Amino acid sequence: MTGANPAMQPAADPIIELRRISKTFGEVEALKDVSLAIGRGKVVVIIGPSGSGKSTLLRCINRLEEPTAGEVWIDGERITGSDEQMNKIRADIGMVFQHFNLYPHLSVLENITLAQKIVRKREKKAAQAIAMEQLKRVGIAEKADAFPNQLSGGQQQRVAIARALAMQPKIMLFDEPTSALDPEMIKEVLDVMLMLAEEGSTMVIVTHEMGFARAAADEIIFMDYGEIVEQTTPETLFTHPTHPRTKLFLSQILQK
Amino acid sequence: MASSDLERTSLLDAPAFEGLKLRRFSLKEVNWREFPWWFAALILIAVVTLVTVLTSPTFNEAFFFIIAGLGVTVSVTLAAFVVAVVLGLITGLGRISDKVLPKNAATLYVELVRGVPMLVLIFFIALVLVPGIINGINALGAALSNIGIGSIGSFFSAVAIRDIPMALRAVIALSITYGAFLAEVFRAGIQSISRGQMEAARSQGMSYGQAMRYVILPQAVRNVLPALGNDFISMLKDSSLVSVLAVRDITQVAKLYAGHSFRFQQAYISLAILYLVMTVSLSLLVKVIERRYCHDGR
Repeated sequence: MTGANPAMQPAADPIIELRRISKTFGEVEALKDVSLAIGRGKVVVIIGPSGSGKSTLLRCINRLEEPTAGEVWIDGERITGSDEQMNKIRADIGMVFQHFNLYPHLSVLENITLAQKIVRKREKKAAQAIAMEQLKRVGIAEKADAFPNQLSGGQQQRVAIARALAMQPKIMLFDEPTSALDPEMIKEVLDVMLMLAEEGSTMVIVTHEMGFARAAADEIIFMDYGEIVEQTTPETLFTHPTHPRTKLFLSQILQK
Repeated sequence: MASSDLERTSLLDAPAFEGLKLRRFSLKEVNWREFPWWFAALILIAVVTLVTVLTSPTFNEAFFFIIAGLGVTVSVTLAAFVVAVVLGLITGLGRISDKVLPKNAATLYVELVRGVPMLVLIFFIALVLVPGIINGINALGAALSNIGIGSIGSFFSAVAIRDIPMALRAVIALSITYGAFLAEVFRAGIQSISRGQMEAARSQGMSYGQAMRYVILPQAVRNVLPALGNDFISMLKDSSLVSVLAVRDITQVAKLYAGHSFRFQQAYISLAILYLVMTVSLSLLVKVIERRYCHDGR
């Protein structure tokens, strides 16, 4: 079961709720009976060793990964996995990937307007206006006409964030957004994420950036072997970790 | 490049032409050991043959007799290629589908076609499959007439096997054959696009179909353009097989000419040079398209 810290109140109005989620890949159990509730407007950071099931958990939220068992509830609605429902719900959940996954055949502006036009059914002009607004927000409006391969990794990731934001999502998911970046570009992406956190977006973030986790997170979840080991405030987790596995993990990464 | 496994080596890739990329080109920069002598020889053969054809009266006669079939060769190839691209795209999408029926139907089609020689397939489709379908339609017409829907029934019954010209059957046969080849080209092209592209599109709420249409296929098609071009060239050559159906393409016309004039040399040298001129110029064109679309996109 989840080792939730008694100090943490269960989210009163959860926008995301996972109930007893399991996921197996062949023989491997990536998630073992995980339950989790995330409140509206909360910034939740998931940390843990590689292979601990962090990304799988994140991908179960928007069903890029189909759970083997358990229920996912988004904003009071149970996700059954029907295509129609999934497309509707996914439009409301922005996702940022480790490898950016920009559309290489489209310009930056077209990357951001494509889903607005075909999923949100916005007029081209309106979609472009929203795209420019989001590009300004992440600080690269001048790159609107560039192609992804002309941008640095940090710029590409900021475009990817703008692309997700342009859908005006209720939730933003970040799957190791800085892991594929050169060190000098990590900050520009984290700065954008911090800004979003301060604006009150609901964010679920898988990351190895402990400084960011400490600065931005309302809650922090430590996962290991497909389970939530500890779920608490960053302050408590970093200063008084209760579980030996958390202590071990923190000692390993903080020594570096 | 993701498309590299689909590309075939070509002349302009030869290291000898490294120097050509510079604005000022000098002979010193050409590496003569790496020079594509085979291409120079090819051009020489083509020029000598063309001069011979145009100056010798008998060759001249043969050449211009045969060229009358060029329209048929080109139109059969073009029509069959367009149909094959559509068929190949649909089948390729079927091959990668998660759904049981499309996946198996597409695989069955591809494996059936790949397991039979093209010449046999052309006979089979033109002389067994097409008549079989017409007989089926006639039987349906008769059945409809029997149950009293005579107006539609007689329409179906009126279609006769001889109404389907051999040229059309040739196009059908080539399309079905190449559809299976192109399905594999499209499948490989789609699978060369990273999974993250589909995930990004789906995560934004696009359906599978929308993601395919707006995100995956535009990239995949760009990647497979050179392979499609090469298959077009193959099809141009394989269109000579339709001469077995007595379709008057250049091969059939050459056979006829040789048959009545007994000038086998003149007929078949002219025929070969015609194909060669078309295929060599097309493969240069493919190379140009490849450079334009594949080297800057990503």
